[in-house]
Amino acid sequence: MATQATPEISPLVPALGPEHAVVWPKRTRLTLKNGLEVVLAESHNIPKFTGELYFRSGNAATALDVPGLAEITANVLRTATTSRTSRQIEEALRRMGADLSTAAGADNSAISFSGLTEFSGDLLTLVAELAQSALFPEDEFERERRQTLEGLRLERTTPSFLASERLRHVLFGAHPYAVVSPTEAQVESYQRSQLVDFYRAHYRPANALLVIAGDFASGEMMAEIERIFGGWNGAEAPPTPNPPLPAVHGRRLYLVHRPEGVQTQIVLGNRAITRKHPDWLRLSLANSIYGGAFNSRLVMNIREAKGYTYSPRSGAHALRQHGYFSVHAAVRNEVVAATLTEMFYEMDRMRALPVGEDELADARNYMSGVFSLGLATQEGLAGQLSSVYLERLPEDYLETYRQRIRALTVDDVLSAARAYFDSANEQIVIVGDREQVGAQAALFGDVDVYDTEGQRIA
Amino acid sequence: MKQLQIPIETATLENGLRVVVSPDRVAPVVTVGVYYNIGFRLEPKGRSGFAHLFEHMMFQGSENAGKMMHIKLINSSGGVLNGSTHYDVTNYYESVPSNALERILWLEADRMRALKVDDENLRNQRDVVKEEVRVNVLNQPYGGFPWLDLPPVAFRNWANAHNFYGDFADLDAATLADVQTFFRTYYAPSNAVLLILGDVTPEEGFALARRHFAPIPAGPARPPADVTEPPFDGERRGEVEEKFGTLPAIAIGYRAPERRTPDWYALAMLDQALHGGRAGRVYRSLVLEQQIAVDAGGGIHYPVGDLFDYNGPTLMVSRILHKPEYSADKTLAAYDAVLDTVRQKGIDADELAEVQVKFRSDYFASLEGGHGGYIPRYGLMHYMACFTLFDNDPRLVNSILEGFFDVTPERVRAAAQKYLDPARRALVFRRPVKKGAA
Repeated sequence: MATQATPEISPLVPALGPEHAVVWPKRTRLTLKNGLEVVLAESHNIPKFTGELYFRSGNAATALDVPGLAEITANVLRTATTSRTSRQIEEALRRMGADLSTAAGADNSAISFSGLTEFSGDLLTLVAELAQSALFPEDEFERERRQTLEGLRLERTTPSFLASERLRHVLFGAHPYAVVSPTEAQVESYQRSQLVDFYRAHYRPANALLVIAGDFASGEMMAEIERIFGGWNGAEAPPTPNPPLPAVHGRRLYLVHRPEGVQTQIVLGNRAITRKHPDWLRLSLANSIYGGAFNSRLVMNIREAKGYTYSPRSGAHALRQHGYFSVHAAVRNEVVAATLTEMFYEMDRMRALPVGEDELADARNYMSGVFSLGLATQEGLAGQLSSVYLERLPEDYLETYRQRIRALTVDDVLSAARAYFDSANEQIVIVGDREQVGAQAALFGDVDVYDTEGQRIA
Repeated sequence: MKQLQIPIETATLENGLRVVVSPDRVAPVVTVGVYYNIGFRLEPKGRSGFAHLFEHMMFQGSENAGKMMHIKLINSSGGVLNGSTHYDVTNYYESVPSNALERILWLEADRMRALKVDDENLRNQRDVVKEEVRVNVLNQPYGGFPWLDLPPVAFRNWANAHNFYGDFADLDAATLADVQTFFRTYYAPSNAVLLILGDVTPEEGFALARRHFAPIPAGPARPPADVTEPPFDGERRGEVEEKFGTLPAIAIGYRAPERRTPDWYALAMLDQALHGGRAGRVYRSLVLEQQIAVDAGGGIHYPVGDLFDYNGPTLMVSRILHKPEYSADKTLAAYDAVLDTVRQKGIDADELAEVQVKFRSDYFASLEGGHGGYIPRYGLMHYMACFTLFDNDPRLVNSILEGFFDVTPERVRAAAQKYLDPARRALVFRRPVKKGAA
């Protein structure tokens, strides 16, 4: 088992100097009369800016009726507005030195953009057009439908996708979060009118958040945004459904049979909490000690001591309504059972025994430092602000983050591990060749077998 | 356009180590990189994949910081770290709160001076690397396409043509003696550059660099190496079986001109016109307009590198995943028509001006970008390192854009005719074993 001796730290290692203070970037927040919430942060590293226009409606909003609708809506959105064709949009972006992408996750749809500050007005005008007057041409919709189908077929050959798809089904049952991707038949049955309806209902200023970080003067930028987005109107968007979650009791195994796999993808998980939950930072810290950092117990055990895998990790995942904790590793076929044994060993150790004060201090430093690193680029800054405002976290969430991390104790880690590393009820997904790994999986409980299309076969 | 003014200070220690400091006070963090002028081109014959395996060994322990200590000391200082192996350089880098700067330099100096690893470490990392190859190549749809597929078809010199991730038999054959020899041969201070970026003054950076790196003895000069490659004598074709994906795929490679020559700047602008996202001619024609392909992309030194991080023969690559109802010949004919147009007509002044703006904007983003978010200024570090090791001039990072803005439509057309020759290129076809459901 994994009882590595703690290595000695050489007395030659230079001590850490005093911490330098964080100078918080200038931040401006305003809600326009139409309900659009705007957050700006200045960051003058390069003469560019980066932003996201979010809508708080994603694939979960329609997953029970039309799975994947938000995503295809976002993809077709960029192909025409009432005043521009697809080609004009793409060439305008190039002329402004801009990148733009449209996407939808479970909880949000987003138009993401970045470009040179000298063209900020033009780029924001284009973003506003996409948000208000997209056309959804029939031929672009059909092209995107075929690309979506090919994308689905590709996903079904990818171990990490197959693993997370099965895990989400098991953890979330009839809830929209169970559905990671639509089926081919569902995509075949999409109607253009469904995209238009989704767009009209959800791409609304009162459902939107605009976050921009970059090289600009906030006052001027805000005035420009009011000019460009101020005339946009619309009602509130319909709420996302939140049906009850399935009861999950006991360990169960789900083997996704992928013939000829030369490696096995393992994912296990249990439901946990959202970012708004008071235990979120406790869980984050416990996760970073368990498997969330390079220096974590799991990585040191199954990678650095045993060489089973290249990039094992654990993570706490927060969706808007619910969250989950998961652990994953891609391992050689011979060590599937050995890897599961170590994953549970490290999990149970976290639940049974308090972490040492040194290990706790190291992990707090890690979380605090990584947080600072994430603020040092325009994209990182925009990302941190987005998570605060999208989930409506306290206004001073970022400013107080490091001090809240520093206050966490050994007991906080132990209580979070006991509550959220649900060892006895882990749902275990194994994506691999049944002939090669099925017997190892069966050592851990009853196994349901699925094919790569998601159909149960045994 | 006014020139970039990124502050860059340089020094060279007596042992030959070059030091570059680029201060900025945006956040209380520093990014440190050590780049060695050795990549997978020059790994020993019979030891394919060794440069990358060796990179892993550099995390396994040095004289005063044993196994796991590099990772532990950096994570517990609030930092992140990694390394990566490229064609012509290998890097080791970390970003930390600036109060940990000296600790990081001490660690990097310790492993530059005295790598200390054993057979157990080698066995362990050989296993880890094999899982890396499986997860990225052998068990993935389109794994290694086209970065591992094109070189053996396009090139004749083993340095350019072999399997850079490594045949498993070669990985198995690697010994601790190989590790030690490689370290002595290529990891001398004179074959490296140290870069310190962020919350640091040049005085502080140079003083710390001297304190920790100056005592390292100068090593032998890097042995001469031949990476030259004969010109293409015709069209070269290869085929690779696609075990998982259901779409056929084609990769096309043309020899790119030598770095920093007039033709290189011109081809870079043409590359942006061809492969610059959805506005690029290849994607627009094949994916958006004709809808023959489902995806298309490309670039110079694509996809595991870019215009600035190689120093030897390379390709301008196009990569196309096409619908099964179109044959490979038909797809290739549609692609060739796009290239024929630029060979005959070039691109006009408006299109050139657009791609120049986009190129500048992308370049700024590369300099600032966090390489996934947590390595601030990774791109600036990477480019300054390459310009130091290849050109002995990190300040090229401030001036190199001018060459791209001097390009004219005439030069683009001439470059298209000279380099994008359908009779002199490499083609690789990925043929799916399984049929799609369409």
